[in-house]
Amino acid sequence: MEQVIKIENIHKWYKMGENSLEVLKGVSLEVSEGEFLAILGPSGSGKSTLMNIIGCMDDFQEGQYWLTGEPVHEMNDAQLTYMRNAQIGFIFQKYHLIGKYTVLQNVMMPLLIRGYSSHKAAEIAAEKLEMLEMGNRLSHKPNELSGGQQQRVAIARALVGHPKLLLADEPTGALDSATGKEVLKLFEELNEKGHTIVMITHDLQVASHAKRIVKIIDGELFEEGEPAKASSM
Amino acid sequence: MKFFEILRLVWVNIIENKSKVLLTSLGIVVGSATIVLVIAIGHGGQVDVEEQFKNLNVGAIEVTIGQSLDAMMDKMMENGGIAPGGMPNGAMPSGGNMPSGGGMPSGVGMAGGGMSSGAGSSNRNSFAARQNNFRVEFTASDIEDIRNLVPNISAVSLLASGDGAVLGGDLEEETTYTIVGTMSDYVSISNLELLYGDFFTDEDLENKSKVAVIGYTAAQEIFGSAYYAQGQSIQIEGKNYDIVGILKSMGTVSSGISPDEAIYVPYDTAKKFIFGNNIETQISAVASDVKQVKTVMDNIETVLKENYPNASFTLTDAGSKMEAATESANTLSMLLIAVASIVFIVGGIGIMNVLFVSVKERTSEIGILKALGCSRREILLEFLMESNFIATFGGIIGVGVGFALVPIVKMTGMTLAPLPIGGILAVLFAVLTGTVFGFYPAYKASVLTPIKALSEE
Repeated sequence: MEQVIKIENIHKWYKMGENSLEVLKGVSLEVSEGEFLAILGPSGSGKSTLMNIIGCMDDFQEGQYWLTGEPVHEMNDAQLTYMRNAQIGFIFQKYHLIGKYTVLQNVMMPLLIRGYSSHKAAEIAAEKLEMLEMGNRLSHKPNELSGGQQQRVAIARALVGHPKLLLADEPTGALDSATGKEVLKLFEELNEKGHTIVMITHDLQVASHAKRIVKIIDGELFEEGEPAKASSM
Repeated sequence: MKFFEILRLVWVNIIENKSKVLLTSLGIVVGSATIVLVIAIGHGGQVDVEEQFKNLNVGAIEVTIGQSLDAMMDKMMENGGIAPGGMPNGAMPSGGNMPSGGGMPSGVGMAGGGMSSGAGSSNRNSFAARQNNFRVEFTASDIEDIRNLVPNISAVSLLASGDGAVLGGDLEEETTYTIVGTMSDYVSISNLELLYGDFFTDEDLENKSKVAVIGYTAAQEIFGSAYYAQGQSIQIEGKNYDIVGILKSMGTVSSGISPDEAIYVPYDTAKKFIFGNNIETQISAVASDVKQVKTVMDNIETVLKENYPNASFTLTDAGSKMEAATESANTLSMLLIAVASIVFIVGGIGIMNVLFVSVKERTSEIGILKALGCSRREILLEFLMESNFIATFGGIIGVGVGFALVPIVKMTGMTLAPLPIGGILAVLFAVLTGTVFGFYPAYKASVLTPIKALSEE
């Protein structure tokens, strides 16, 4: 199996006046193609920081990170931007759809950024939305949809560019439990189709839908089953 | 992202914020309209100057009597009145010896009322010199002196103008026209061009012939057309004049005489039959070499000073007048451009403020776009194009408003000559304003990190 994520000993700290706050303390992680991984951690554990680094949206002071074999730790802003578009599909807790664009336009966006013509992008985006049972809502604006529907649109947008990695940040956080379960079921189906998924959550129930769980506590990462800190969650 | 797709995003944003775009572009509308009007007014000023001076030679020189009546009075009082010999009592009779407008036939102006008829010819020169204090009337002998003594002169002429009652042709009652008494050289001094006939000759001048050359508009008014004026005659101040020439339409000139509405007659004829002794003369001359205008002016003044030692003269040349008028038109243009620039800066600041607000409002959108892989350049381009669209839109509307305002402003009496380049410049200025003032907010948007942008809801 191809390695999608390889993180080695990443340290990240924030300067706070003369002091510094270390939020990631030597994190290492490997994720292979086809995995469905949940990173489980309480608020303030550093899971969002880790997600931002995995998503090529934040930098780190020490350590190394390869995404699909490419050395992210050596990349400049333009290269990181390219990686976000080409290799990662983001699914956010608050969907982060652009309100003034239609469902179709939102889903087309990653392809347009990649340089597709709007005709081709629309064709592919419509297909994806059809697959996610949102084909009849193409011309709707996000505020005309329910939370679950908006998350489906966000998933369609994440999938449309065929990224190597789906990165979901608390994907059910803004949904009721029934809709949340539907979304998680959808994740399972996508994973069965071969998509690599990394999901960040604070909810063990949600994390349990993943095939593998790692826990993050105070900036340190533990595989599930490791004693001590993992059991204290 | 393809450029066209960025344009499409910009368009969606514009459509979503129509009223905001309209309000933001108002400053630019005003700025562009101002530019169009400024250029129209500036060019109008130049057209005015060109129109006024188009019939004047650059080397043309005008000489007028420079001493005012008050100055003459002061001087006279200072000298204790007029010296004996010239006046019956050797002093100024109360209220009697002031110039009443009478001109002395010999060429030196005389006081009409106070002059004793017994003034002897032996005293003539000294008396004439003293009379310079009152009134100088240029004569044909001055013209001869200038012609003989001043080098680099191609033409020189006497000139006197005033109103005269005209009757003839289709006129049912006497109508006042400007009558100009001058010499044959005047035709080349003022670049007068004849449509029909000829200008009067030196012979007409010597014979005091009652001939006239009439302006194009005057001919139309009196005879219905310039063509019908040929071979006709008119009455000026009750005397018949044969029309020997009709001028082409010339437009206006700076000297205050509009050739189109004037009637030209030989100087001596005008003096004898129209103006009488109540005549104010000036000399018009043309330097053959434009570079010698100043020297020619000095030489003319020297000759006239010799003839009228106590008089002072005002000499002006067309080149200086044109320069001054052009300079004044340019100053006006500069002032208006400064006003337009201020309007543009205010409009630009308006765009900048709105874009800053827009960046703030759309921080989350910028974050999403960046998370999805939009580059800094694309974000910068999107916001820059948005500000440029607002500015260009405002600029085009402003140009339309500016051109629409031209006829309204013309009603105030200003001369406006709108130019297409004014419209082009206004739009270019608008685009420049949009780019300059839109850049900083666009740059701020482009350097937002996706995490920071996404976290700001």
